[in-house]
Amino acid sequence: MRALCWEGVGKLAVRDVPEPTIRADRDIVVKVRASSVCGSDLHLINGYLPAMREGDILGHEFMGEVVETGPGVQRLKVGDRVVVGSVVACGGCWYCRTEQYSLCDNSNPQPVMAEKLWGHSPAGILGYSHAAGGYSGSHAEYIRVPFGDVGAFKVPDGVPDDAVVFASDAMPTGWMGADFCDLKGGEVVAVWGAGGVGQMAARAAQLLGAERVIVIDRLPERLGTASERLGVETINYAETDVLEALREMTAGRGPDACIEAVGMESHDVGPIYAYDKAKQTARMQTDRPTSVRQAIMAARKGGTVSIVGVYGGLVDKFPLGAAMNKALVLRMGQMHAQRYIPMLLDRIAAGEIDPGYLATHPMSLEDGARGYEIFEKKEDGCLRTVLHPQAA
Amino acid sequence: MTSNGTRWALTGAATVTALGVGRVVARRRRRHQPEREGGWYVVNRGITVDRPVDAVIGFWTDRERLDRALAEWATLEQLADNRWRCVARDPAGGGTEWRAEITVDGPRRLSWRVTDGPAQEGHVELVPAPQDRGTEIRAELRWRSGPVRRALGLTTGSDPDLGLRDALRRIKSLIECGQMIDTRRDPSGRSPAQEKATDKVREKLMSGGRA
Repeated sequence: MRALCWEGVGKLAVRDVPEPTIRADRDIVVKVRASSVCGSDLHLINGYLPAMREGDILGHEFMGEVVETGPGVQRLKVGDRVVVGSVVACGGCWYCRTEQYSLCDNSNPQPVMAEKLWGHSPAGILGYSHAAGGYSGSHAEYIRVPFGDVGAFKVPDGVPDDAVVFASDAMPTGWMGADFCDLKGGEVVAVWGAGGVGQMAARAAQLLGAERVIVIDRLPERLGTASERLGVETINYAETDVLEALREMTAGRGPDACIEAVGMESHDVGPIYAYDKAKQTARMQTDRPTSVRQAIMAARKGGTVSIVGVYGGLVDKFPLGAAMNKALVLRMGQMHAQRYIPMLLDRIAAGEIDPGYLATHPMSLEDGARGYEIFEKKEDGCLRTVLHPQAA
Repeated sequence: MTSNGTRWALTGAATVTALGVGRVVARRRRRHQPEREGGWYVVNRGITVDRPVDAVIGFWTDRERLDRALAEWATLEQLADNRWRCVARDPAGGGTEWRAEITVDGPRRLSWRVTDGPAQEGHVELVPAPQDRGTEIRAELRWRSGPVRRALGLTTGSDPDLGLRDALRRIKSLIECGQMIDTRRDPSGRSPAQEKATDKVREKLMSGGRA
């Protein structure tokens, strides 16, 4: 079969690879119909998370059709149209039992690097390097999904592939970001990043009761889409002082909750950003935490900062003093896909969320490398490139 | 030109630094060394399994399930009511094999002793975990080895401590989800040579994990 493989820092190519097979009772094999690029792939492609091996198949946000099931699979059958959560969860450990699926104890068979970096290993993630288990990814014609009954969910009829694909990762990530804010109704929520996750977090915050949602980015077309599709307010940080603007918009209080949906390759303007970028390039820090810093400074006293952008290692100049003295609640984590997906599918079917507009650039697998380039450089108003491995 | 005094001062500073670094390294090494007791190395490792003690015991007494779980790496043969013989193989191949005798010492405790090969013994105890967290499997492993053999074992990755941690992780996974995930031989765009190199990296990332 054809698959989009990582070939070294910044290099991707389509290669012929062997097809996956059922290897354990609870495995399923999915014929991939839509597989989205994700901002977190960029950290892998660009070598910021140094656990990729040449030939690894990328991709973790996908949907498709079940073509094979292991003898232990009960909930799914061949022919089912499914969306698959990107984190792998066994369904049988304490973390899975308490619906903290991204912390599953048994789904990362290669836990040593994570344990050295983070003390413990969280769940494995499909197509997400050897630190996350070394699973083959979804930018391929077929993919093996372990624990199929736990990770794959039947999709309602009538919802297009290119919309439901985001129920795999961007939507649950955004939803969890808003869920962390513990909204009671009437809050002001600020969201850093108007990409797929940021927009879904903004929508989730609205549905969970926020009265005002303010989205921060520097790309006018993304901010335009957010305000047009979701009716949120926007701040362009390239033109406006974000902290000043947020203080003004909230009459001095600051947002009740701040959601960071950007991650370790955060961008900003000014000399501190240049310093961070230089340090990261020289590998003297792994992550650039610009937007987290801003979120902590912006949040109201006693407010919440919720981080769903991906960070991998160490950061510099983390304003711990601000977080401590303002008594902030900090919450963060990889999303618990399996907890949120069924609810999100219901909401898509009910028309409460329509993630389809995120798929601005549908492409064939063969154009994958170009698809990532457009996505990374944000050319042509790209929100997400969605690859179609079955297209010629 | 540097005076003799400066030279002595620099030499002194360098020596003090070297001694300091050496001491820190030695202390670090000691902290990571297993304890020694009368010629035996002793390590204690534990893992928490999200099942009540009875269910964990049930896993060992359900012979059919146990055989299926152990299929690729060990066989069990009952010798007497409370004694078993175990023949274990290296699941990665390589033909290493060791035999052990297992004794059930009580309702929640068993011990084993390697009957051929290097001197090694240990025991396992099951303790209910707090807060509805299931069962703590607590294991103690003792083995005889000299410093040279141990250093050699560490470099070749055959440290018994790593083996114990792997075994505990495997047991937990088998009890909680009925399998041990393996992503080796998953599809990739690698050549056979690249795959071999990647397998070595995988091996490093797999051995000694604690879950």
